[in-house]
Amino acid sequence: MTPDPLNALRLPIVPVVPRPEFAAALLRRLEEREAPRTRQTATVRYFVNDLDAAVAFYCQNLDFEEELRPSPVFAMLYRGDLRLLLSVPGGPGGAHTLPDGTVPEPGGWNRISLQVADLAGTVGTLRERGVHFRTDVVRGVGVTQILLQDPSGNLVELFEPRARYHERGAR
Amino acid sequence: MSTVSVRYIVNDVDAAVAFYSQHLGFREEMHPASAFAMLSRGDLRLVLVSPVGADQPGGGSRPMPDGRKQEPGGWNRFMLEVGDLAATVEALRKKGVHFRNDIVTGVGGKQILLDDPSGNPVELFEPTRPEARLASP
Repeated sequence: MTPDPLNALRLPIVPVVPRPEFAAALLRRLEEREAPRTRQTATVRYFVNDLDAAVAFYCQNLDFEEELRPSPVFAMLYRGDLRLLLSVPGGPGGAHTLPDGTVPEPGGWNRISLQVADLAGTVGTLRERGVHFRTDVVRGVGVTQILLQDPSGNLVELFEPRARYHERGAR
Repeated sequence: MSTVSVRYIVNDVDAAVAFYSQHLGFREEMHPASAFAMLSRGDLRLVLVSPVGADQPGGGSRPMPDGRKQEPGGWNRFMLEVGDLAATVEALRKKGVHFRNDIVTGVGGKQILLDDPSGNPVELFEPTRPEARLASP
């Protein structure tokens, strides 16, 4: 049987993790409504040394979407209901420099924790792209998890719930 | 419903739970072990853990494979929007909460950094532009 000549034009089937919460958040933003009214978007600020590299890293590897990038020292990304602010230390205005002159820096151990559907698969893909992991996959009480580093050395935790342990907290 | 998770390393989970619950409006979801608690506030789920040994339960707070221990601190933080930053800061100062700086005015709003009992930062933010709001109008 002759192969379908259109096959050459068809894109490979890439498994996509369903992200209904992202779709819901996107819809709310597009329609400029928020329901319920008391809803809050969780916001986290990370300090990064290189804004371009950080935006590319989070968007290409971790499914973030760029929302705002009004200056060379600040960007706002979204992933579902998470808003991630990326700030370059010591930027103009010095909004983040302490009164004693201390300048914030990337790093530390506190981190955002992103749920993925297939941790082993995600880790394999990210390793192929050269993402640096600080640990191997660790089995915790309710989740399996791993820690990766962004280009500035900030931590991001990926986790996959084990069995049904997490469901109560997740929804 | 909490959809976003943030993990903070703290020295004393009980003290941290009390701090976040009493001062910042978090709700305790679970505190099943002395080294682990889960709080929530709006869409934010805050996981508080204290460092444990490599052979203990609590996969999120064990040392790294190279032996490095996890510890509180740093500059990355979650942010909470407040309606009246000056009044909130004054009320928290009266309760003895430590702030790293005074209120500063940035591009999108006014902000300040406070420390939890372990020295982790939390940013309080009062937007001055509608697009900088964290909460719904």
